[in-house]
Amino acid sequence: MSPVALIARDELRLMVRNRVAVIAFALLILLTLVAVASSWSHRQRIADLRARHQQAAADAFDAQPDRHPHRVVHYGSFIFRPLGPLAAFDPGVDAFTGNSMFLEGHRQNTANFGDVRQSSLLVRFGQLSPAFVLQVVAPLLLVFLGFAAVARERERGTLRVLMMQGVSRGQLVAGKLAALGVVAFAAATPALIGLTAIAAQPGAAPLPMLVLGIGYLAYLALWCVVILTVSALVPRSRDALLALIALWAVTTILVPRLAPDIAGQMHTLRNRLQTDVAIARDLRRMGDSHDPDDPHFAAFKAATLKRYGAARVEDLPVNYKGLLALEGERLTAALFDRYAAESFAVQARQNAVVAGASAISPAIALRSLSMAAAGTDLSGHRRFLEQAERYRYALVQRLNRMQAEGVAYADDTATDAGADRRKRVDAANWRAMPDFAFRPAGPGTLARAALPGLAVVLLWLTAAGALLAFATYRLGARR
Amino acid sequence: MSLYVHELRLLLRQRLSRFAILLLAILTIAALAAGMAAVARQRASIAAIPAAQAEDIWAVADYVVRTRDSGSAAYYSFHPTWDPPAPLAFAALGMRDVSPTILRVRALGLEAQIYDGDAFNPELALPGRFDFAFVLVFLAPLFVIALFHDLVSSEREAGRARTLMALPRGGQALWRRRTAIRFALLWLSLAFPFAIAAAVEGVGAAAIVAVLALIAAYLLFWIGAAAAVGRLRWGSVANAATLAGAWLLLVLIVPTLANVAIDRAVPVREGAEIALAQREAVNRAWDIPREATMRRFYAAHPEWAGSAPLGTAFNYKWYLAFHQNGDAEVAPAVAVYRAGLMRREAAARALGWALPSVGVQAALTRLARTDLKAQLEYQDRIRAFHAALRRFYYGYLFTDRPFDRSDFDRAPRYERFAQASDG
Amino acid sequence: MQTIPDPPISIQSLTLSYGRAPVLDGLTLQVPAGSITALLGGNGAGKSTTLAALLGFERADGGTIAVCGIDPGSDPDAARRQMAYLPENVALYDHLSAIENADYLLALSGERHDRAAIAGALAAAGLQDQAWDRRLGGFSKGMRQKVAIAVALLRAVPVLLLDEPTSGLDPRATADFNALLLAVRARGTAVLMVTHDLLSAADVADRIAFLERGRVAHEVAADGPDRFDVRALHARFQIGGERRAA
Repeated sequence: MSPVALIARDELRLMVRNRVAVIAFALLILLTLVAVASSWSHRQRIADLRARHQQAAADAFDAQPDRHPHRVVHYGSFIFRPLGPLAAFDPGVDAFTGNSMFLEGHRQNTANFGDVRQSSLLVRFGQLSPAFVLQVVAPLLLVFLGFAAVARERERGTLRVLMMQGVSRGQLVAGKLAALGVVAFAAATPALIGLTAIAAQPGAAPLPMLVLGIGYLAYLALWCVVILTVSALVPRSRDALLALIALWAVTTILVPRLAPDIAGQMHTLRNRLQTDVAIARDLRRMGDSHDPDDPHFAAFKAATLKRYGAARVEDLPVNYKGLLALEGERLTAALFDRYAAESFAVQARQNAVVAGASAISPAIALRSLSMAAAGTDLSGHRRFLEQAERYRYALVQRLNRMQAEGVAYADDTATDAGADRRKRVDAANWRAMPDFAFRPAGPGTLARAALPGLAVVLLWLTAAGALLAFATYRLGARR
Repeated sequence: MSLYVHELRLLLRQRLSRFAILLLAILTIAALAAGMAAVARQRASIAAIPAAQAEDIWAVADYVVRTRDSGSAAYYSFHPTWDPPAPLAFAALGMRDVSPTILRVRALGLEAQIYDGDAFNPELALPGRFDFAFVLVFLAPLFVIALFHDLVSSEREAGRARTLMALPRGGQALWRRRTAIRFALLWLSLAFPFAIAAAVEGVGAAAIVAVLALIAAYLLFWIGAAAAVGRLRWGSVANAATLAGAWLLLVLIVPTLANVAIDRAVPVREGAEIALAQREAVNRAWDIPREATMRRFYAAHPEWAGSAPLGTAFNYKWYLAFHQNGDAEVAPAVAVYRAGLMRREAAARALGWALPSVGVQAALTRLARTDLKAQLEYQDRIRAFHAALRRFYYGYLFTDRPFDRSDFDRAPRYERFAQASDG
Repeated sequence: MQTIPDPPISIQSLTLSYGRAPVLDGLTLQVPAGSITALLGGNGAGKSTTLAALLGFERADGGTIAVCGIDPGSDPDAARRQMAYLPENVALYDHLSAIENADYLLALSGERHDRAAIAGALAAAGLQDQAWDRRLGGFSKGMRQKVAIAVALLRAVPVLLLDEPTSGLDPRATADFNALLLAVRARGTAVLMVTHDLLSAADVADRIAFLERGRVAHEVAADGPDRFDVRALHARFQIGGERRAA
């Protein structure tokens, strides 16, 4: 057996004989299993619930009686964001974003009923998921198991003995690294098996999972390298332990919380009240359909009459009220898009600040990699919001067109007792409306979105590897 | 006394302890500053309401005065409500980053409005806020561990334990003194910056004292844990590893497990179901005889029953009535939903008695009025305000009084409802 | 009429056991003021336990034990006020200077002495003045002992307990230490020194007590007939001889 394998075997044997280490490892495995199981069933439950709600909403929409199209514009449509299979691995921001949305004419509502507002304060302590276990808990276990790997040998003087027996510094460190690597891999295995189980789900694509697997293994490898580096550089094992715990607390707990706060402070998001007021202001400037003297709508009216060669709106072959609704919706939707884009731009700047902090905390890079690959990050939510808005606009304009073409202007403006009946269009129309179907990002898109995070983690791994090489070189040279 | 000075000097001569105490103080100050900045932003956005609101309501008034139609006034007027941060909110931001600080409502169906959120970046909210509560609940125990894990074992390992124990003022009293000094320094680096920040923010003396006591109690819990581990007479390394493991368990793992357990044990009917049901209830009105709607409305609100009958044209009396009927229809479901949320919160609070990390977080967010209960209380205030809005507009609508520009100024203002009804 | 005071260390028929195993079994030992008694014995004979009982770390099952008339088992703090104790390896705070260490240990003894007094004691203990303000990190065992002795000198305690004071000291440092010990004796201190180094004990002790299975099996006095017959004592008790060839 090579010296490296011998040293690795010795180190592993030592860990196996250490009762505390074995218990800690067993607890981690147990925790991962619980996380996989609970996260899996949680996702399943949520996905089922949302699918059920979505079906109920779609059925209710289709079951509407004959109605005036504008009624349906305000009856609107409830949509629910479906949850991808990988959310069972990393639920990401799902709990923090509302998952249901009410779509109606000339209003853009918020996504409501996120778990975070329906849960106790415990939800802010973090969510139990395989991703959480691998990101936060597993590195600490590796610290416990590996902090003394080299420091112990030096403290007890066995380092010299080993070297005198012809073991090189490189072999020693490589052996220890191999042993810790085996533990890291074993610790990651249940989560990875969970990931593979998800892969068997319909709708799950292998490419993002591959990126996830590589990312997490690289991250754990990074911790192994860092642990050995500290263990080789710090003279006493207690100091190595404290330094590693501090490093862990700073990079996985402190910085991931601190960076968002700084980002929020640097780039402030406009609140809803200000946005609504600003949209209303812009809308008044562009054209107020309520104002008979409004220049925009006066011009619109003139152009419409000219197009149809009519003298009065009453003479138009189409319902002028429907045309007005179409034009009004076009204006408001353009504003919604503009303000939403602005808001997302600010959020993107905020996220860029946080991403910058991955220079001091690889956990941030891993988290963004993980959420991006799982499709549970902000851009996943944005995808939902944008598709929702596109659907809303298409639905509302379809209804407006229906009003323009299917409801006579004379009926629409009549107030007599039978007018209500005449304004309505046939219920079959509602069933003909397409339902909302969320198109999740494709595997290529997800994997691509995860690449920057992966690159940062790999960069960290390379840098830590270089540092370990340096620490190995210095090992035994001192004193 | 001089013995304490000696211990203090001894402690501060150690690089690790000097660094630890300084770092804790810096983190505390940074967290307080971050919390104060966040609260200041919330206050600023509340302060910016009147200007934006005035602009908005004037535009509505410009339109409404043409018809003097009170129904249009009710339909188009959004009325702001806001939830000013309590003085202590800066210390524990709680749910305030994910729940709205400002919500505008109309006199239409409230259940379709009250659950709306505000804009926030979910990726920023996900890891939790960097506030004083975080420093206390999550980080302070790590500092306790750093200073206490080798309180006795380091002396034993250095071979000094016997020498110290053999001195007349050595022995148990020595460990007590050292514990007291370390405790005092940790407490001060948390409590002193907090007390200053709290004074600046105008927190009442009772709340300040309560938080100072909470800090002490939480530190003492972890010091007790370190002492308990110390009694096993393991080495410093084993102590540190054991305590860090305990921290991981008590601060990170058990709360997340408990969250899963509570969500399972206390199922809450999704708020979305209420929204769906309310929409059906409201929109059904278009397809049933108007008289049925009005009968139901007048039965529940006889004070308006004498109003003039509806004509065949669209009438806002009917429109607002079926909106209110829709709210009434889902009221039982809303009560169940709210009770479910309260049960979840109560379960977490109960866990706080067994789990100090959760207990401190719960106590701080309660004192700071930033917990789920505070959010529900804000919703209660919105409900009360909304009821007043309805009464106000109904006063014009159901008596067929014209609505003039000056009447916009007579609308209820939220200020009167903004006061937290402490109870 | 003047009563003759009890010797500062007075142990009568002391029995002490850990669980079922008796460690001290009827130990009787007196150390008069101004004298040095060496306590010798093999591993497990009860030497360390005797010190532990004197320091109040262990409570006796039977017999009496008194330090200046105080039972350390019932009032350890009062007893410790009468004693100074030097463990085998005097470990002090490496990040404090000699003077600061002394200052701290004196504070823990309930005493305050100014810098001049401490410096004087360090000088009297044989520590050179350039070492006074140096951090203890680089001190040898001998130098550390000097700091501890200086503290004992300043405290002017009637009893000094030593645990293997000369193990690991080179011959010159041993000689220095022995000289220091004689100076302490001259001040009237009762010194009890636990060792298994017969040669070192024979150099300074007034009496040597041999411990076997928890009791004094043999006692020789400096002025007695066995005084210098180290070889015979060694043969009889199978101990000693740790001292390196001088």
